[in-house]
Amino acid sequence: MTLDQMGPQKIAAELSEMPPASAISLQMSVDNYLDVIRGVLDLFANKKGMDTIYVTATISSEAIKRVLQALDIDTSRIYFVDCISHIMMGASAAQQDDHTTLVESPTMLENLMLKVEYLIRRSQSKDKLVVIDSINSLAIHNNNWILSEFLHILVSGLRSREAFTIILSVEEHSTPEINNMVNLVCDHGIRAGKEG
Amino acid sequence: MPLKTGERDRCATGLEGLDTILYGGIPRSNTVLLTGSCGTGKTSLALEFLIHGAQKGENSLFVSVTENSEKLLANIIPYKFFDKSLIKSGRLVFVDLPIMYERLGMTKAELSMEEIDLLVAAISDLVTELGTKRLVIDSITSVCYKLKTSEKIRDFILKLGKSLSDLNCTTILVGEVSAESTSYSSFGVEEAIADGIVLMANMERRGDLLRTLQVIKMRGTMHSRAKYVLDLTPMGVLLVPLLKGGSTA
Repeated sequence: MTLDQMGPQKIAAELSEMPPASAISLQMSVDNYLDVIRGVLDLFANKKGMDTIYVTATISSEAIKRVLQALDIDTSRIYFVDCISHIMMGASAAQQDDHTTLVESPTMLENLMLKVEYLIRRSQSKDKLVVIDSINSLAIHNNNWILSEFLHILVSGLRSREAFTIILSVEEHSTPEINNMVNLVCDHGIRAGKEG
Repeated sequence: MPLKTGERDRCATGLEGLDTILYGGIPRSNTVLLTGSCGTGKTSLALEFLIHGAQKGENSLFVSVTENSEKLLANIIPYKFFDKSLIKSGRLVFVDLPIMYERLGMTKAELSMEEIDLLVAAISDLVTELGTKRLVIDSITSVCYKLKTSEKIRDFILKLGKSLSDLNCTTILVGEVSAESTSYSSFGVEEAIADGIVLMANMERRGDLLRTLQVIKMRGTMHSRAKYVLDLTPMGVLLVPLLKGGSTA
């Protein structure tokens, strides 16, 4: 679906139509990030009472938390797997809490999967959402072959656990290879970026 | 589920990933060498195997050789599923081998052949007395240091393995090897005698250090031979396949 600057309501409505355990590719524009965040986390996951595991490889979990606070979004059910704060900002284990788990580096894709698996098992919620933000950022640190293998194993595992998966990609930074890789593992695609 | 003809009864470890690798668990009464260098998670994995057993009503025994059990328990991962009442009820028992040595009068640096028989009998008696179905000895390497020669080590492990197998006890012998070692055991004997070998290691890939697990052999069952990456978490040991795209080998 191609929609010009899809708003948060529309994004949430699109996601709500997807069956459980779906894997969704959500391509956005850089300018559209806040709408996507609101649509996915607030209007979709929070409204449905889902626990959300948010894998952040683009900006730190602290920065996203500040964005969520500014948008007045409830973060009590959002759990971060932060792949960049340790390696890029020297965050220590002391900065981890019940809602934030650090992965040493975005190249440690197995550890990323293990942290997601841990949070899935710890969650008491019936419905779970895993957001990967973003495939483009992970592609900076990993080659396409290993990234493709990672996505395949991760999404298959999440599907078997009946978790909902959303893979974010940034239109301006995507390549045909990355798009193909995401399309291969996703059941549905939503374009929330600029009209192309 | 009823077993197919010829298929051996399983001792499900309770570690989901490992049981999948082993097609259902360790064949019951096998003696398995769980080996690796320091800091790879051997003790945590072995302990979790016992906790899951005790939870299922199987009496479980941890024989600590290098570290006293009080210290071990103080440093245990705060497992969400670990209930201390398992210890109070006697389902999960910790014994320090140095105390057994003392009681058996084994004070010399090297054990004689007679003392080896005595030690095997003492461990077997304890297993019988406690009705133990799962046993961990951590570490067998430390015991071997008191045996010195390959002959004595072979004799000890063979006799111990036979005795425990007869008692229908599934055993994990924790082994220590140096990080550079290409062998699965310090003395080269333990690996040949054990029914199974599970290798835990640290693997470096592009500067990242990953904890890995690989089942090298397991008599009595088919098993995966692939390498897995593991994490020690309060929910227990978690495993995911090593991504081949990044393999250094």
